[in-house]
Amino acid sequence: MNDQSAPSETGFFLKADRITKVYSDGTVALKEASLEIRPHEIVGLLGENGAGKTTLTKILSGLLPPTRGRVVSSKGPIRFASPREALDFGIGMVHQHFALVGTFTAAENVALSHERPFTRIQIAKTQQALQSLMEESGLHIPLDVPVEKLAVGEQQRVEILKVLSRDVDLLILDEPTSVLTPLEVDELFTLLRRLKDEGKSIILITHKLKEVGTITDRVVVLRHGEMVGDVRTAEASTEQLARLMVGQALDEEVDAVELRTDEIPQARVREPIDRAGQGILHVEDLVAKGNTGEIAVDGVSFDVYGGEIFGIAGVEGNGQTELVESLTGLRVPMSGTATINGTNILGIDPREIYRLGVAHIPEDRWELGLVLPFTLAENAILGVHRWQEFRGPLTLLKWGRINRHVRQLMDRFDIQATGPSAPAKSLSGGNQQKLIVGRELAKDPAIIVASQPTRGLDIGAAHYIRQTLVEMRDAGRAILLVSADLDEVLAHADRVGIMYEGRFMDVCTPDELDRERVGMLMGGATEKEVE
Amino acid sequence: MSRSEGTMQSRLLRGAHRTLTGLHPALESLLAAVVGLLVGAILMSIYGFDPWKAYMGLVKGAFGGSYEIASSLSRATPLILTALTFSICLRAGMFNIGAEGQMYMGGIASVLVAYFVLPPGLHQIVGLIFAAFAGAVWGIVPALLKVTRGVSEVISTIMFNWIARWLALYLAIYVVVDPRRPEKTLSIPVSARFPVLVPRTDLSYAIFVSIAFALVIYFLLWHTAIGYEVRAAGLNPTAARYGGIRSKRTMLLSFILGGLGAGLAGATIVMGLPPTYAIYGGGGLPQLLNMGFDGMAVAMVGRNHPIGILIAAVFFGGLNAGGRVMQFYGAKPVPLEMVRVVMGAIVLVMSIPELIRLFPAIKKQGEKLIGWMRRMSRRGEKEGAA
Amino acid sequence: MSFNDVLSLLRISLHAMVPLALTAVGEIVGETAGLFNIGLEGILLLSAFGGALAAGYGGPVVGLLVGMGIGGAVALVFAVINTYWKGTQMVTGIGINLFAMGFVAFGLIQLGAPGFHDVPNAAELFKWRTPMGLMSPMILVALVLPFLIHWLLKRTRVGLMLKAAGEMPEAADVAGININRIRLLAAVFGGVLAGLGGAYMSVAWLGVVTKQLSAGRGFIALACVVFSGLNPLLALLGAFIFGFFQALAEWVKTLPSKPIPGEFVSMLPYLITLLVVSGAIGRVRFPKALGEPYKRE
Repeated sequence: MNDQSAPSETGFFLKADRITKVYSDGTVALKEASLEIRPHEIVGLLGENGAGKTTLTKILSGLLPPTRGRVVSSKGPIRFASPREALDFGIGMVHQHFALVGTFTAAENVALSHERPFTRIQIAKTQQALQSLMEESGLHIPLDVPVEKLAVGEQQRVEILKVLSRDVDLLILDEPTSVLTPLEVDELFTLLRRLKDEGKSIILITHKLKEVGTITDRVVVLRHGEMVGDVRTAEASTEQLARLMVGQALDEEVDAVELRTDEIPQARVREPIDRAGQGILHVEDLVAKGNTGEIAVDGVSFDVYGGEIFGIAGVEGNGQTELVESLTGLRVPMSGTATINGTNILGIDPREIYRLGVAHIPEDRWELGLVLPFTLAENAILGVHRWQEFRGPLTLLKWGRINRHVRQLMDRFDIQATGPSAPAKSLSGGNQQKLIVGRELAKDPAIIVASQPTRGLDIGAAHYIRQTLVEMRDAGRAILLVSADLDEVLAHADRVGIMYEGRFMDVCTPDELDRERVGMLMGGATEKEVE
Repeated sequence: MSRSEGTMQSRLLRGAHRTLTGLHPALESLLAAVVGLLVGAILMSIYGFDPWKAYMGLVKGAFGGSYEIASSLSRATPLILTALTFSICLRAGMFNIGAEGQMYMGGIASVLVAYFVLPPGLHQIVGLIFAAFAGAVWGIVPALLKVTRGVSEVISTIMFNWIARWLALYLAIYVVVDPRRPEKTLSIPVSARFPVLVPRTDLSYAIFVSIAFALVIYFLLWHTAIGYEVRAAGLNPTAARYGGIRSKRTMLLSFILGGLGAGLAGATIVMGLPPTYAIYGGGGLPQLLNMGFDGMAVAMVGRNHPIGILIAAVFFGGLNAGGRVMQFYGAKPVPLEMVRVVMGAIVLVMSIPELIRLFPAIKKQGEKLIGWMRRMSRRGEKEGAA
Repeated sequence: MSFNDVLSLLRISLHAMVPLALTAVGEIVGETAGLFNIGLEGILLLSAFGGALAAGYGGPVVGLLVGMGIGGAVALVFAVINTYWKGTQMVTGIGINLFAMGFVAFGLIQLGAPGFHDVPNAAELFKWRTPMGLMSPMILVALVLPFLIHWLLKRTRVGLMLKAAGEMPEAADVAGININRIRLLAAVFGGVLAGLGGAYMSVAWLGVVTKQLSAGRGFIALACVVFSGLNPLLALLGAFIFGFFQALAEWVKTLPSKPIPGEFVSMLPYLITLLVVSGAIGRVRFPKALGEPYKRE
């Protein structure tokens, strides 16, 4: 339909020419980044958080204007005044955080991007068109359910359909696999290959080196806003790419996990853990409801002993959040027991739970873990602000002592900030997380509940956090690690529980698993099906 | 220049730079005030008044002499308290528009001291307690509705304002009325009146009540765990929950404190404002009228901080005091309602964030200055270190 | 209570319903798109005043139109501050109310009688003679409009766009909708309707302008919006209920023997509003992005 995509000798379809982007607060997001996109190609856009990947693609898809530079197509220079113009032209983007209106159905969401203003919506027509599109692409979703009730994987399919229904030539996907099970990832990649064969161009934004190797033809690496590499995937090694991403000599700095291929590491040889009796954390038949009233945790039982890391793997949205909330006083479960060294922790105040020796590194550091406008000092006492060491008579706060405490934390955990009175929002993501970790560890806990602790962090910070957890484990604490990053869990946990729809599909040690098996369990296959 | 001179200079420059950018919120308030006054001036010209004369009258009436300054401070007294009402609840994440009604109730309650005979000192304290209690009760009901039934406190406090108005009117006219002069309530007995601070002005010792309350609130919010919890819950209720803080409790507490403050405001007017020391019923409680709403404006201009509120209250008190003079000043005086117009304009302008963005010229100059200072300080460092 | 009394009560209720219904329905459109305008009270005051003045010069229809214009203009200021300039909606609204309080009082003094202005008979809108007495045609407008708006929100693309802007502006932005523009238009529309309601009060109903003419109606309209869950038909119902109690209060005051003191009767509409709002909450769901300025980056 689009004659630009006809393969030609010189031909490119789209070119970003020396794009520079400086935000209004002075941050330089992109520095003279140039990129060529050709048809029949899947390009991986690789880089750490903050490297500028999302910014670059937002500029390509018309959502942001570049400060300097331009986007040129085979027809000439193009500057899109709105996302719709880009869509009309043929560029569609599937965002990491879906741009869907929750209360609308899938059909209504698609109709939103279609109709011209002030005409009556013909939902039926849209639905028909969508049906045929679903047949073609192999993506199936219910069309008349409000999308907020759909599973995350299904929501992503709505996003993709939305873009495909506009018959785009360039499809940009931003971290699409972070919410999918390994099986769904395979399905997605099959679809992408088919689209590529049809002549479309695809940009895949990711920070996962493994994916790059699997699906892309070419890899472009961004670091601190600069284009530092543009190579054919087949010609680049993972070490090379990692080096380009991080920009320094690797050796022990970078977590070995990032470079692994498809193997699961052997179980570490360490002293055997005494697993007689109940663990420090003992959970039995825990059942909890989610926010929408449905059962989110469906009868979970496990123990976590001192000196081990118990990992809970699984795609987000299968009850992990609700489970952690139930154990940390943020949700009242319906039934079941959970104890810390014998004392009940269900349905009681978080502060009481902390006093019992529980530390909680929450999965959302902005919403849950920090009060962003507060200073470092104020955040450092969140949850422990009533403890004797910080509090005097009449609940007076001893700021002197608190500030000293914060400085110690900053030292010990290498938190980069101007001082205890710096506002928390001025810190980078990694430093914010280190502050939280420092705060929680200062409680001298018996058990650490870490929920998605390295999400959104750059390699250095993520590595640091993981190291810290391992150190705590070696020092005899119990660690409950909940992570959607399968590799993280498999590399660090002594035992793994795979969670699907509120239940543990299996609990075993990492060496008993291979990737395929894990993938199927995460996707809900029962033991029998896996065999 | 010598090494030590170089570092000294760069340090001074950096200090100045920091002060300028740290001063930013105060500058914004100042800018809003200027724009508000400008809007008033424009309106006055349209209606054929002379804005210069009017503002001259205003300034004279506000700060022209010791009597005028005392007058401004006297007007500031209740404003400090009602501003704190709004501010405390805002810190807790709530919009308490009910200072007006809470103040009415406090004012009426303080009239009740007329039924007792007590030694001075104790008499004032009893009056303050009555007023604070009445205000707190009036404030806690909307909070309870919010906490138990999720009722928007914006709507409930406003409804309570109107209910309070009528209730207070009724009580003033029929219950605590002065039998000899039915247009007003009983007067506060001499032993309960706050003595005048500056002779022959209307500034009384009541202002210390306001200042004390402001200091108590400052201390509470920033130096106690309770205040910490209130602020945390106001900024991020989810994280507060994680920290073991119950936002329901902080919401209730903030409304109790806020109502307390507004009640005290009523008391300062009734017990501390010569010459009447009573409430006039007619015309809708004229002495108390609108103090609550003006308090909100004060809170916003004061950047929601007790210290800023003290300063802003003096400014707004000056506007009120000056307005009284302005309405008689010159050949064609401007009615004092214009003062509220200016206040409204100031608040409107305050709702625009980063006001300075809209004045590109000012901004450019400011940026040039900061850039120059930065370069100078860097150069100073380099030279100093050389 | 005689049959005539009942008719009388009904008539006054319908009249009292009009400004509440118009304002509430207008605000529903604005809130659907994500803007919470607490300055409705101020708009009612300003448009009542301005409309009355204009009617004095050009007749009642001009008065109503000018009222609408004033409402739209004030809402425009509110909208620009809170969309393009990313302001704080609550504070802007409070500023509008303060400004209006002062300006109308000031303006009334200019007209001669402080706090009061009588709209000349020629400037008042005609009333129909009906079996129930004299009724304003605006009642019809107030009855029909909610149905139109309901249809608009539910069945047209404009409605979809508004809901998207209020619920998830990011999605609407990606779909090519200009968030700031649509919110602005929604707020201005709400302001126009509120302006009509305000002008109605002085020009088509009460025939006077006082300092406190609005008497909290702007906030009662907000209560209607909350009660209705952004459904215009329910808002109409709410407006009628509140209007009824206002009428009841007025009627009780006219009784020869006063069973209840006038002050308590005046409290009645506000008490009822409070009760209704306290009872109705729980099943209401507001747009997720309501009250939040939309930033693209």
